[in-house]
Amino acid sequence: MRNPLRKRLLRDLAGDAGKYIVIFVLMVLSIGLISGFLVAANSMIYAYDEGFEKYNVEDGHFITAKKMNTAQALAVEDLGVRVGEEFYIEVETDESNTLRIYPVRESVNLLCLMDGRLPENGSEIVIDRMHADNNKLKIGDTITSGSRSWTVTGFVAFPDYSCLFSNNSDSMFDAIRFGVGAVTEEGFSALDQDERAFCYTWQYLESPESDEEADRMSKDFLPALMEEVSVREYLPRYQNKAITFTRDDFGNDRTMMMVLLYIIIVIMAFVMTVIVTSTITKEAKVIGTLRASGYTKGELLLHYVSMPMIITVISAVIGNIMGYTFFKDFAASMYYNSYSLPTFVTLWNARAFILTTVVPLVIMAVITVTILARKLQISPLRFLRGETSRRKNRRTLRLSRKIPFFSRFRMRVILQNLGNYAVILVGFFFADFLLAFGMLLPVILNSFQEKILDEMIAKYQYILTVPMEMTESEHKLEGLISGVMFMRGVETDNPDAEEFSVYSLRTTDASYITEDIMLYGVKDDSRYFRADIGKEDVFISSAYAEKFRIGPGDTVTLKEAYEDETYTFEVTGIYDYSGGLAVFMDQATLNRIMDMDADFFCGYFSDTPITDIDGKYIGTVLDQEALTKISRQLDHSFGDMMFIFEIFAVIIFFVLTYLMSKVILEKNAHSISMTKIMGYRNGELSRLYILPTTIMVLLINLICLPLVDAALARVWRYYICQRMTGWMPYIRDIPSYIKMYLLAIVTYMVITGIQYLRIRRIPMDQALKNVE
Amino acid sequence: MFIEIQDIQKSFGQGTSRVDVLKGISFSLDRGEFCVLLGPSGSGKSTLLNIIGGIDRPDAGDIAIGGETMASMKEKQLTLYRRKHLGYIFQLYNLIPNLTVRENIEVGAYLSEHPLDVDDILNTLGLYEHRRKLPSQLSGGQQQRTAIGRAIIKNPDILLCDEPTGALDYKTSKEILKLIETVNQKYGNTVIMVTHNTAIRDMADHVIRLRDGVVRENTVNSVKKTAEELEW
Repeated sequence: MRNPLRKRLLRDLAGDAGKYIVIFVLMVLSIGLISGFLVAANSMIYAYDEGFEKYNVEDGHFITAKKMNTAQALAVEDLGVRVGEEFYIEVETDESNTLRIYPVRESVNLLCLMDGRLPENGSEIVIDRMHADNNKLKIGDTITSGSRSWTVTGFVAFPDYSCLFSNNSDSMFDAIRFGVGAVTEEGFSALDQDERAFCYTWQYLESPESDEEADRMSKDFLPALMEEVSVREYLPRYQNKAITFTRDDFGNDRTMMMVLLYIIIVIMAFVMTVIVTSTITKEAKVIGTLRASGYTKGELLLHYVSMPMIITVISAVIGNIMGYTFFKDFAASMYYNSYSLPTFVTLWNARAFILTTVVPLVIMAVITVTILARKLQISPLRFLRGETSRRKNRRTLRLSRKIPFFSRFRMRVILQNLGNYAVILVGFFFADFLLAFGMLLPVILNSFQEKILDEMIAKYQYILTVPMEMTESEHKLEGLISGVMFMRGVETDNPDAEEFSVYSLRTTDASYITEDIMLYGVKDDSRYFRADIGKEDVFISSAYAEKFRIGPGDTVTLKEAYEDETYTFEVTGIYDYSGGLAVFMDQATLNRIMDMDADFFCGYFSDTPITDIDGKYIGTVLDQEALTKISRQLDHSFGDMMFIFEIFAVIIFFVLTYLMSKVILEKNAHSISMTKIMGYRNGELSRLYILPTTIMVLLINLICLPLVDAALARVWRYYICQRMTGWMPYIRDIPSYIKMYLLAIVTYMVITGIQYLRIRRIPMDQALKNVE
Repeated sequence: MFIEIQDIQKSFGQGTSRVDVLKGISFSLDRGEFCVLLGPSGSGKSTLLNIIGGIDRPDAGDIAIGGETMASMKEKQLTLYRRKHLGYIFQLYNLIPNLTVRENIEVGAYLSEHPLDVDDILNTLGLYEHRRKLPSQLSGGQQQRTAIGRAIIKNPDILLCDEPTGALDYKTSKEILKLIETVNQKYGNTVIMVTHNTAIRDMADHVIRLRDGVVRENTVNSVKKTAEELEW
């Protein structure tokens, strides 16, 4: 015979629908959302991984100062690689976007055509799908750059630009202002050929099996390559953020989503145990009778655990159905909003199913079984007497009679429900954390943006491209000629222009992600650099100091990007500059350290655009647009996510306060009924039974906010230090915290209204009825 | 003898607040006997019933039922013992509020490998027409009848009744007593009923009267009254 107690379950479910529906909704939304993300991410990662072979993705690329001649190309191929030309030219569109234009690829890094068709003549172009989305470009639109224009004939995904990093040292990609496109050979030839970047892809004849092997092979390849050609940029695939960032970020998102889900399940498991414990208390005498009749603890435990498990199973099934339908598309649209991924086919994901079904069930089972098993340890006799506390001799806390009666009463209610308030505390902490993340990110980004603009050294920093020959001692004559050409080409009449030297080195501190550090050599009487810098002074930017926790007196050791040579500097000051990780010193000192002539320079600071220098010598322009792209992109990528976090936080606030205050009132329904008989009015009963929870909610929220702030600051720092290059400081924004506090209170006020109605509805005859 | 109770002692509290509730209770019962435990409030009768029922333990003494001694039983064995041998009826009916009359009785049937027929029990208890009702739709007497049904459906060797008529009016109390009498006669269970109603002693085979934790009277009625004949 099957246990007849199971017949109760459906009736319990219907009888307490209010409680179970809110839990069910929260769990379905959480599981659905996370399942959708996992399914979309898994399918997209599959398409991404498959793309390496399908689109014949490079093993790396290098950029040379000049086009390689045939002998050089053959010599490089002799190093065990296949080399392909992938020259590009960057143009600035009339919308101030940078478009990196390639000829349509035919062998390596093939394009995935997502919509439209490939270009057929010199005036047509296909562009990256995401860049088009971000700039609201449609097929048939025209892109203009000065006197040139192209008609967009299609949208593509470049397999070597799944993430639109224009420069590998950038902290963040920029899918708004930076894009890639492809034109016909004819169209490419029509561009200014002096602007060509001589980019070559390489593919090993024997492909590496792992990143470690790729690392070893690339380290062997680089010195051999440098013997043949002058390398300006060298980027093996496993280090190329434009290729790898997407997959890494998918992994991070997955981890974050799983943590989000499991925390919600843990909170819901505790909520469930509070509800079931309350039912056990209410049904103590029935349990006592059943135990006295021979029901085992195990049978009763199974019965009381069934409801949480049933709710979780149903939530998981419906959540997964929604995950594969609605939420998958939602998640895919969010990923497509950030990444240039090829088209994908939805794949059944057994792992996602386990993570969003089996694991929540296990969490729910472990927590409910552990707590309820302890509760059911009480002897049958004590259950029969209605004693449901595990401690036999609970000592009553003495309250002074000087405390007014109503206050003492409320304190008793608080003491009676400490377990419920503990669950609210845990839940509020988590909800506040989500809310803080959602609310503070825009504040942090805005503040960062403002700070960067305030602290700009100059409105424009022109970093010049110095011909490689100038720095190579073995080609003296060539170097001399190039030097003269360079000096002429970069001469300017702009009175705002001020020369500086700049050099790029890399960090060596293994406990952080490797960073490119810009070493600036500034003039001692600089009008742009706002600090007095002596010959021996070494200042570091405030961003560098904050991220690496470096102060005056400390030393920093940096190394050449592709060589082993290291440089050690003693820091003498911090310079307020949030725009990047940088070291500042006297120009002559930097030139001496880097073996350059005393009057060497390779950049201009200027508050007005410099228009009279040869464009081919302009490597990078750091202006407002360039410096703020990280905050712009983060805002774009995480904007939707932050909204989800805020919605979830409000739902959690609502669910927790609704359920816990409902349980408290139900627990006391008999007493409320009795006090009504005695003549207490509904308002007085609210002061006795609702006000304690109100006080606790206000207090708990107040306790949670500083805890959340401390936790968020740590998480933020960890993320920035371990996952991102560059630095963006965490901001403790008090107005945001006040808003968060008020939001929780407003949510609770709605609950208070519901609970007041509930008190009004408790009938006076409840206290007079039999237990049944 | 079927039930042998030997020198049962039980106290509550410690030090100066210690109260000796049972001070060495001994008696024995035959299988199928109807035993009434009489005594005023605080005499220890409910405590004794709980010890016989295996939901409380004595400080000293032992109980043997069908040759099995309870003192040596661990908690799991006690649960099994209750499951196999005992049916419990309380003053408050302790029914499961969202199960129907029939389902509440099935809760008891689940515990037995060979339960009695539910419809038969429903007819015996006069509950057949109410079988689909929930406890809240029943009168006190009907609820107690359901509780009796839940206790006897598994055909227990011993039926323990703790003030089963305590919350009922005269007429309903007599109905319940008649039912317990019928059950005792029809199914041959040993019934031990705790009551402070002295009139009930006349329907018992065996009367044990307790006061201050000791047995003041242990008599066997040579002439019994039926429940119908009782007056109080």
